[in-house]
Amino acid sequence: MPKTITEQNLRLLIDTLVKEGTRVVGPRAAGTMTLYEPLATGEELHLGELPRRSAKEAFFPLCETILTYEKDKEGVKVSDIDPARFPETVLIGARPCDVAAAPVLDAVFSWDFKDEFFLERRRKTTIIGLACTKADDACFCTAVGLSPSDTKGSDLFLTPLKDGGYRCDVVTEKGEALLSAHAGLFADGTGEPLPLAEPTLGKLDLEKIRNWLDSHFEDPLWEEIAQRCAGCGACAFLCPACHCFDIVDEGGEQKGARRKSWDACGFGKFTGHASGHNPRDVQPQRYRNRIMHKFKYYHDKFGQRLCTGCGRCIRACPVGIDIAAVLEEINNK
Amino acid sequence: MHAHKENHDFEPKIIAFVCTWCTYAGADLAGTSRMQYPANTRVVKFPCTGRIDPVFILRAFQKGADGVLVSGCHPGDCHYMAGNFHARRRFAAFRALLDFIGVDLQRLQFSWVSAAEGGKWVEVATELTERVRALGPMREFKELEAEEQWSGVIDTPELQEAYNNIP
Amino acid sequence: MTNSAQTIDPALYAAVTDAVRAEARKVLESGAVAAVVGWQAGRRAGTAMPTIVTDPAKAADLIFSPACVNNLALYLTKAKKEVRGKGKIAIVAKGCDLKALVGLMGENQLKREELHIIGVVCAGVQGAAADRSLPLSEATIAGKCRECTVHTPENTDVTVGTLTELPHFTPTESAELARLEAMTPAERWSFWKEHFSRCIRCYACRQVCPFCYCEQCLCDRNRPQAVETTPRPAGNMAWHIVRAMHLAGRCAGCAECERACPMDIPLNLLNRKMARELKELYGHEAGFKPKEKGPLAEYREDDDQSFIK
Repeated sequence: MPKTITEQNLRLLIDTLVKEGTRVVGPRAAGTMTLYEPLATGEELHLGELPRRSAKEAFFPLCETILTYEKDKEGVKVSDIDPARFPETVLIGARPCDVAAAPVLDAVFSWDFKDEFFLERRRKTTIIGLACTKADDACFCTAVGLSPSDTKGSDLFLTPLKDGGYRCDVVTEKGEALLSAHAGLFADGTGEPLPLAEPTLGKLDLEKIRNWLDSHFEDPLWEEIAQRCAGCGACAFLCPACHCFDIVDEGGEQKGARRKSWDACGFGKFTGHASGHNPRDVQPQRYRNRIMHKFKYYHDKFGQRLCTGCGRCIRACPVGIDIAAVLEEINNK
Repeated sequence: MHAHKENHDFEPKIIAFVCTWCTYAGADLAGTSRMQYPANTRVVKFPCTGRIDPVFILRAFQKGADGVLVSGCHPGDCHYMAGNFHARRRFAAFRALLDFIGVDLQRLQFSWVSAAEGGKWVEVATELTERVRALGPMREFKELEAEEQWSGVIDTPELQEAYNNIP
Repeated sequence: MTNSAQTIDPALYAAVTDAVRAEARKVLESGAVAAVVGWQAGRRAGTAMPTIVTDPAKAADLIFSPACVNNLALYLTKAKKEVRGKGKIAIVAKGCDLKALVGLMGENQLKREELHIIGVVCAGVQGAAADRSLPLSEATIAGKCRECTVHTPENTDVTVGTLTELPHFTPTESAELARLEAMTPAERWSFWKEHFSRCIRCYACRQVCPFCYCEQCLCDRNRPQAVETTPRPAGNMAWHIVRAMHLAGRCAGCAECERACPMDIPLNLLNRKMARELKELYGHEAGFKPKEKGPLAEYREDDDQSFIK
């Protein structure tokens, strides 16, 4: 039976969840932009535009402590972080291009090493996706095989309706549990959905692109594109699928913490060796890795691609590098 | 020795970055002359004020200093001819920057103290200590140090307690 | 209001584009330069990106438009060795970009005779959040351009374009600077704390800065660690203070750091503040003529020391 929820009840749902002690993360107005942040009340939900940073933060924090140490008379005491302390989270109002990245990331974080930090946060996160009704000229989800109404990764999925409110589809058991726990806020029925967003970039032949990448590790294209690359991490940090991280120890002799934070393959230091040698010592090699990892290596290993077409890297790149244009160029070769 | 030691509610941590040739010798003179000044000052010795990078001052605040004192040779007396002249400009700029960021400049003092000025060292160190004592602890950087990005926050009552305990 | 035009005529940019293409073709064909650093159009309408042209036939790809926001001086620094290695370089430069080139010359990073500077007369470029389909106006122009004093670059090898009368724009940056200066220290602290806490340490500000050409950034070091590398509020605050300090007296105000920031941190306010302080204290202004020593690399015996006991 299809369900609907009114705008008012959606906000009430947030209020209720917050009162129950759940961390509710959703788009929120933050200065000049919208960001996924914890919502204090339903009123704060701000669905008008795509948040500047992706929703991966809900389960892949920008920076988190993974252990702490403290020196006392007896010696050094090292304490692990107890994953039981990760907050129960509901991620609400996330776009399909953000949500679809989550199951893609599950593959690598549960591969040869089970990353409890990521996996436990994922387990504790229930995702309420939201169909997308507004695309700009950087959006290209449809070109990489997604759609503005793709439920991939969502537990519940909202579709905005013409007459206001949302249709709510149950995608997983986790979603079902959330819905039935707050059944009073939902009503039976459906309605006419608002027209979906229409990204303008045509379909890309991702298999063809992968084949081309397979045989073009060395190619003048890399220099042509990436000689302009400034080597910052804006693309990777805003990307819903980029998941590289760095681990550093911070603190002093007496106490400190080991912390994990986002890293980016565009940084010169990313592959720097202690010896001073750098296997990727020029920017085009780093950019090549970015494309190869997203559209070849990850697919070779896990059968999925690290791009959902959200367009954030295109909007944010300070030197105008456009991943969709790069893919189009390879596609047309 | 410390017959007049008073008990205060708050003992500020003062970090003094000094040059070895003038101010350190001046502070030494104060000591050998048995002059009294508050024991709040931790002295860090450098070859020259020209070696004192503004980032050291920042680091001191970040790591818990309530006040910072930077002191070296009087203009013209630099052991390396011009180290203190360069430092003077750098500190003038850094002061302006810290002020613009919102750091209370009353917590940061620069001075010239020569090897013969044990008395001036006592005066400068005492004045800064008492001024900072009156201002209370430097909360800003300590609070920042304890803050996390929302995504990295975990449910840790003991951390919250530590945060609440920042004076 | 001194004139009636509220928008900037796109024809101005079209004329500059033609002239840039002609000049680029000429210097490439004659072999006077090995490469031309300029802008080309991006895939999306109304966007542009830096490009390095070596083939005279590709000179026709060059453009100049309100989307040509980048300061191309970046590509001539030692952070971009590959470009310099090509030989003598021609660079297309707006007045604001030229100031960075001048600064780099002063710091012995560039030699004037190794450059062919194609100056472009610039009426302004678009702001970060601007609707790209509209011509430049009060609503779409970048903050720095509202207060531009270098529409026509000087001491170039060739300058193309002619400046027409421009609309009057209300300054926003200097007003914002004044607003901050009028605050109490505690208010300023919370202003910057909020902005810096949002920082994700992508280092776009550093990477696009023509003056951040150090091969080893202090802030990447961990032994000893001067600045925490993790994007927590503490490290972010330290990073931005160090960045501003290292640019003081050098930054010529191109505002690329602020434009590149994906978190919209008003970084140029810090740069402007420092530039003004150093001008007031030492009479120094960055970017007008190559000076071997910046204000923080030289001194006078009678410098102000009223703040020193």
